[in-house]
Amino acid sequence: MRGKDVRLDQVSIRFGDATAVQPTDLSIHAGEFFSILGPSGCGKTTILRTISGFIEPTAGRVLIGGEDMVGKGPNERPTALIFQNLALFPLMSVAENVAFGLEARGVAKAERLRRAQELLELVALGGYGDKKPADLSGGQRQRVAIARALAVEPSVLLLDEPLSALDLKLRQHMRAELRAIQKRVGITFIYITHDQGEALAMSDRVAVMSRGRLEQVADADTLYADPATPFVATFVGEQNVLRGTVATLSDDDAAIDTPVGRIIGRAKGPLKVGDSALVLVRPERITLGGTDDNQVPARLTARNLEGAAVHLHCAAPAQNFTVTVTNGPEVRALPDELILSFSRRDALVYPEGTLAHG
Amino acid sequence: MGSLARAYGRPLAAVIAGITLVWILVLILVPLGAMLEQSLWWRDAKGDVSLQIDRLYNEISTLQLDRAGAADPARQAQLDAAMAQKQAEATALEAQEKNPPKTYGLDNFTRMSGLHLYIFVRTILYALMVTGLALIVCYPVAYVVALASGPRKAIILTVALIVPYAINELLRVYAWLMILDYRGVINGVLAWLGFINLDAREWIPFLENPSAVFLAMIYTYVLFMVFPMVNTLETLDRNQIEAARDLGASTLRIHRRVIIPHAKPGIAVGCIMTFMLSAGSYSVPAIMTRGQGGDWFSQLVYRQFYESNNWNMGSAYAVSLLVVCTAFILLMMRLFGVGLRDIAK
Repeated sequence: MRGKDVRLDQVSIRFGDATAVQPTDLSIHAGEFFSILGPSGCGKTTILRTISGFIEPTAGRVLIGGEDMVGKGPNERPTALIFQNLALFPLMSVAENVAFGLEARGVAKAERLRRAQELLELVALGGYGDKKPADLSGGQRQRVAIARALAVEPSVLLLDEPLSALDLKLRQHMRAELRAIQKRVGITFIYITHDQGEALAMSDRVAVMSRGRLEQVADADTLYADPATPFVATFVGEQNVLRGTVATLSDDDAAIDTPVGRIIGRAKGPLKVGDSALVLVRPERITLGGTDDNQVPARLTARNLEGAAVHLHCAAPAQNFTVTVTNGPEVRALPDELILSFSRRDALVYPEGTLAHG
Repeated sequence: MGSLARAYGRPLAAVIAGITLVWILVLILVPLGAMLEQSLWWRDAKGDVSLQIDRLYNEISTLQLDRAGAADPARQAQLDAAMAQKQAEATALEAQEKNPPKTYGLDNFTRMSGLHLYIFVRTILYALMVTGLALIVCYPVAYVVALASGPRKAIILTVALIVPYAINELLRVYAWLMILDYRGVINGVLAWLGFINLDAREWIPFLENPSAVFLAMIYTYVLFMVFPMVNTLETLDRNQIEAARDLGASTLRIHRRVIIPHAKPGIAVGCIMTFMLSAGSYSVPAIMTRGQGGDWFSQLVYRQFYESNNWNMGSAYAVSLLVVCTAFILLMMRLFGVGLRDIAK
């Protein structure tokens, strides 16, 4: 099996008057584990169904391995789709499920059952061929769906939130398993999810989508440390959000007047003096009693213990902060009045824009 | 009963149990039992009983003449005794004629004439054909209705299925009669187009062909085939269809491997209903053939009851039909691998 690259060339999709996907350019490399991350209704499933051929784009082209897919149905494309609910055939045995794609291609029965057995072994379900899907656990069904999709030797495997029905432990296990299977078979995986943990943990690169538009395409580290838009910044991980107006600008530093005083941060995007702006600071980038560029006095109001980390809820005048610190004896002995400090590198300043959580 | 009493209290539980009992009795046991009982006995209506009675009365008249002419008292007494004996014999025979003795046995079932047996077999075959044709006609309809969604579905359902069925069954059959009649709609259109001349009686005799009955029957019972199928098809996860297509299956294979296996219980129920209704239908063949085409078995049953006045034979015919229909149900259930539980859904 060889992966193929997928390219969306100015693809836009409308359903009647509603625009599901704005004109989008996207290039996914061959053999890559690529995730599309976004809240529900952002158009990510629409993009997946467009790549798989269930939806024809209103405008633009889909290219797989350089070949224009226009007019090709889902059964003619080198893709296989794993549905959110898996859509296993409940009346067929597990082996028949896996062999179905080969059956449709006219492969002889003995041969296709042999191939199905191989694939079931690949996903560690060698002895389950005669069972019905209903007899398997959630994680096992998951692996059957993967084996069934791999049976047709696709160049691109499309996964539509296939882990969302599993419980947390199993989900984490399946993440690692999916990643391992992708490494083993080497084909392109395009993974749709609204769960940032899944996207960040598994993917080579992630595209963050909002309202039918790609906000940013980058690897997980870049997304987290250097989000391109306030939406990405707030959708991936936690942020303290401060609102204010731009006071001064120099190089890529910006000084913002906020309710807690003047904050100096890193300018992201076009800003003019006097514009309203957003300042975003991650809870774990704030230190207590430090001497960094920005210092805000605040009062400790609550402590949320989360094992290794502790979330401190602090109130400054007209502004609440969350600070995440590593657990330890000094955290238990904190005074009520604190100085929160953070570097200008960690305060990201954006023009006013959409946030992920209101 | 105990749990019922606990759930609803004694009086209400008694009422529920009573209603159930009455239901079973009145709707199932009594009518079926009565018919079965009727079918299992007959009266020997010997034609010579009336002749014997006539002969006895003739003899009595002769004896009366003799008695009137006889003067000897001994002879008179002898003749009186003979007359009384003959009268007793005649009375006994008359009683037998009026109320012949019942004989229990299976003769009603075995006495079916060859012609009637032929009609019986043909009716079953016709009913099977109607069922098969209805299945072929209804599957696509059910598929479209089940997979349509929103306002479109409501429109298809109402216009195509509910509205025709709001009309009385007889009217619907007569409508087909009008369409297929000698001077009906189709022949009229053909004549208007100049293909045939109605005045020269060149019409096409649709009604003399069993397919006219088939047509009207399929039309009459379509709903009973469509609705069970729609019900099961609606529960099909559409992702399965898309998954099959994504895996490269042709439309035919998707139907054969994914959709039809899922719809099996609905198909079985639809087939059972349509078969039962068409095998037992009286009005459709009676109206559509007008005696021009072959009888259906249901018409024979009717005649046994109301024209031959032989309720025992009629019951036996009805029971035979019932047995075959029940066998058909069991066969369908076995064939489609569905249990009673699936059908009850």
